[in-house]
Amino acid sequence: MDLYNQFCVAAETSGAVLVDCKGPVEAVAYIVKHSDGGVLVPSSESFKRVDLADQLQKAGATLLEVNRSQAAEAASGVTSACFAIADTGTLVLESTPEDVRLASTLPTRHFVLLDRSKIVADGLAAVDSLRRMHQRDTRNYIAYITGPSRTADIERVLTIGVHGPKQLHILLLNDWSSDLLEM
Amino acid sequence: MKERSKAYQKRIDKALATPKLQQALHQFGDAYLVSREKAFAGLDFEALRREIGVMKDDVRNNHARYMQQFIDNAQAAGATIYQADTAEDANRYIAELAVKQGVKLTVKSKSMASEETHLNKALEAANIKPLETDLGEWILQLSGQRPSHMVMPAIHMFKEEIADLFSKETGQQEPADIAHLVEIARQQLRQGYLDADMGISGANLAIAETGGIALVTNEGNARLATTLPKTHVALIGIDKLVPTLEDAAKVIRVLPKNATGQALTSYVTWIRGAVPCEGGEKDLHIVLLDNGRSRLAADENCCETSRCIRCGACANVCPVYQSVGGHVFGHIYIGAVGIILTAFFHGLDNAAEIVKACIGCRSCVAVCPADIDLERIILSLRETIADKEGIGGGKSLVFRKVMRNRKLFHGLLRAASVLQKPVTRGERTIRHLPLFFSPLTEWRTLPAIADKPLRDIWPKQQLNAPAKKVALFGGCANDFLYPELGTDLIEVMNHLNVEVDYPLEQNCCGVPALYSGDKETAIELAKQNINAMLKGNPEAVLTTCPTCTMALQRDFIECLKDDPSWKAKAEKLAEITVDAAGYIVNQLEAADQFENLPLPQKVTYHDSCHLKRGAGVWREPRQLIETSGHELVEMDHADRCCGFGGSYSLTSHPEIAKQILGDKLQDIEKTGADCVAMDCPGCMMQLRGGLEKNESKVQVAHTIELLAAGLRAEKAASD
Repeated sequence: MDLYNQFCVAAETSGAVLVDCKGPVEAVAYIVKHSDGGVLVPSSESFKRVDLADQLQKAGATLLEVNRSQAAEAASGVTSACFAIADTGTLVLESTPEDVRLASTLPTRHFVLLDRSKIVADGLAAVDSLRRMHQRDTRNYIAYITGPSRTADIERVLTIGVHGPKQLHILLLNDWSSDLLEM
Repeated sequence: MKERSKAYQKRIDKALATPKLQQALHQFGDAYLVSREKAFAGLDFEALRREIGVMKDDVRNNHARYMQQFIDNAQAAGATIYQADTAEDANRYIAELAVKQGVKLTVKSKSMASEETHLNKALEAANIKPLETDLGEWILQLSGQRPSHMVMPAIHMFKEEIADLFSKETGQQEPADIAHLVEIARQQLRQGYLDADMGISGANLAIAETGGIALVTNEGNARLATTLPKTHVALIGIDKLVPTLEDAAKVIRVLPKNATGQALTSYVTWIRGAVPCEGGEKDLHIVLLDNGRSRLAADENCCETSRCIRCGACANVCPVYQSVGGHVFGHIYIGAVGIILTAFFHGLDNAAEIVKACIGCRSCVAVCPADIDLERIILSLRETIADKEGIGGGKSLVFRKVMRNRKLFHGLLRAASVLQKPVTRGERTIRHLPLFFSPLTEWRTLPAIADKPLRDIWPKQQLNAPAKKVALFGGCANDFLYPELGTDLIEVMNHLNVEVDYPLEQNCCGVPALYSGDKETAIELAKQNINAMLKGNPEAVLTTCPTCTMALQRDFIECLKDDPSWKAKAEKLAEITVDAAGYIVNQLEAADQFENLPLPQKVTYHDSCHLKRGAGVWREPRQLIETSGHELVEMDHADRCCGFGGSYSLTSHPEIAKQILGDKLQDIEKTGADCVAMDCPGCMMQLRGGLEKNESKVQVAHTIELLAAGLRAEKAASD
């Protein structure tokens, strides 16, 4: 199985929803349809290229300002992944800017855009990019995200969505971003 | 009895009277094994754990250098570092920092280190409210309890109790529905993250290369607690240090798989330095906790424990843990590694009872992701505690005065075989004992001491030109309880043209003394046995008891390691010692000599702990059983301990041993087998005792006995 298919199988096993998108327009439409309320869209290089926030707003999404009080009320957060890890179905998010953390921790739904080509084999293969992130910035908050928030603390019964997002939607795109360090 | 021992006994009784707890832990243990196997599919666990062991040993040997690298890098990224020698020191620093910053509320994500230091108490004493946000930890905080598992802290609680606790919080009756209860936790704790001025976390890793930490979590509370409050305090044991990001990735690859059978947790969070926070930057304090870790790393016998990555697997698979839970089998840290950590972090006194609770089955050693020989270390701690507290007058007298003197010991056993007549009523098993001995035979019969021990009935063998000459190390059980097992071995070996000698000066292997902490007696017995067994210069020394096998293969060398000439002899003996089934299959390659013997039965096989996880032998007896024509049916949990454990089931923990035996008997009966085979006289004693007491039809046999019976039947048929 190639890395892309391996990633898809593992991500679905972890409880993520995979969405095949032909392009950003389709991704925008999907997010608007499933956002269920106010949306946080922290800025990132890939988002800026296509002015994603603007597209979402024009398509009917209710954009909220990314700050604490708004984030606490938001239903959805939209981010982009630097890259993904195939064997565990993991997304890697450069979360040093606080906006990214607010959008990916507080809302109930988390939408992540991922370029299909940016997938590495496993946690060890991810180290190269992880190290380059540490070399690029002096301070870091980097998140590996695998599926929605979960717990098994009550009678070991797996329950989805305790403190973090209850839903993780991964929007798969081509020609979205090629740099493994770019959000 | 000491107050401490009485309190401990009470905890055991209480836990054993809670069948719901045992059921929950057994179910978890079973599910865990299945998902763990799935998670590691395609990976070489042995190679992965060796790698982690080597890496963590390097950190231990070069700790100061890696730690300085971590500190320098963390400080360069804007973190404030505090090195706390003790729990009090760490608590004081954090409480003072909170007071200085005017903190009223802290949100905590799960941290075993903060459980270890009792940080919440220290914060409360300074009028600061610590709010646990990990679901399990919050449940425990509401109920005033401590964790009973390192990864699943509230595993001992049930949804009904939790619904009651949550109802008190919300002021209305909440239904005991798990999804609903999880939603309540989400709602109730949410405001806490936004209101708190300080977030407190632990960390799974501290990475020297970057000066960053990594958190391996599932719920998402750690991400909130390290993002929203303006101050982040990370309390980290200094043993969490790893050199590089690759090393961190290697630990993360194994940790969730081994902890719960999850391929990876929902979140792995890498944090380095004072990251952006509300327009400014985070005030990050990293508190590096020693609290006994340096002493542990420097301890000759226990230092391997510094490799531990706190996955909790040693509890998951432990039959003692599954019987009594972590509130009995643990202090703050639980399970096998918990015993050792307790001794160093919380003092020997807190470890003194639980160190005896280990039955020595080595199931923890088999799953440890850092390749730690937990059983060996627990034994050495037992010795340390015995040196300090003594091992009890009666035991001490038996070991020192009786067992070391072989003639006296064996003379007393012979006398006992006569004296036991009134209770055996001439039978081979004792079904009831009178007076205060009666609890010993309440739940299993005990074998009677044989009229004549093996050494007295050892026959002269008439092989014309034996291909091999070997010696049998019988051990006490084979010699004095089951002499027929020895004569069966002769029959089997003679069939292969191998002559077996029985050196008469052999004595007890010393394990009972060693496991009780009396190393001096163990050393004396090791020397007697080495001399006795090497004297006739046998080609191999066979054993029928895997505990004896481990003594001859491992413990004698360990006991005599400081004396070069004795050590060399011990190594010579270890080299030629082999269990009987392994000898036939691997050395003689003679399994086919037993093909299709008469009297086939439906046989299930019980793996003895020290045979499978000590000597690495488990395929060989199965091969012999199948080759000889029996139908082999596997039982569930074939390699789970039977609960014998020598003096464990006789004197130190009979109630727990009975519980573990009960589980095993159920698994045996479920197979519908006519016979359960094994390769250990201790297991035979335990299983025969339990099956007889239950009036079961299932027979108990040593693999060697099955082979001998087949040979005899074949001979009778051809005569």
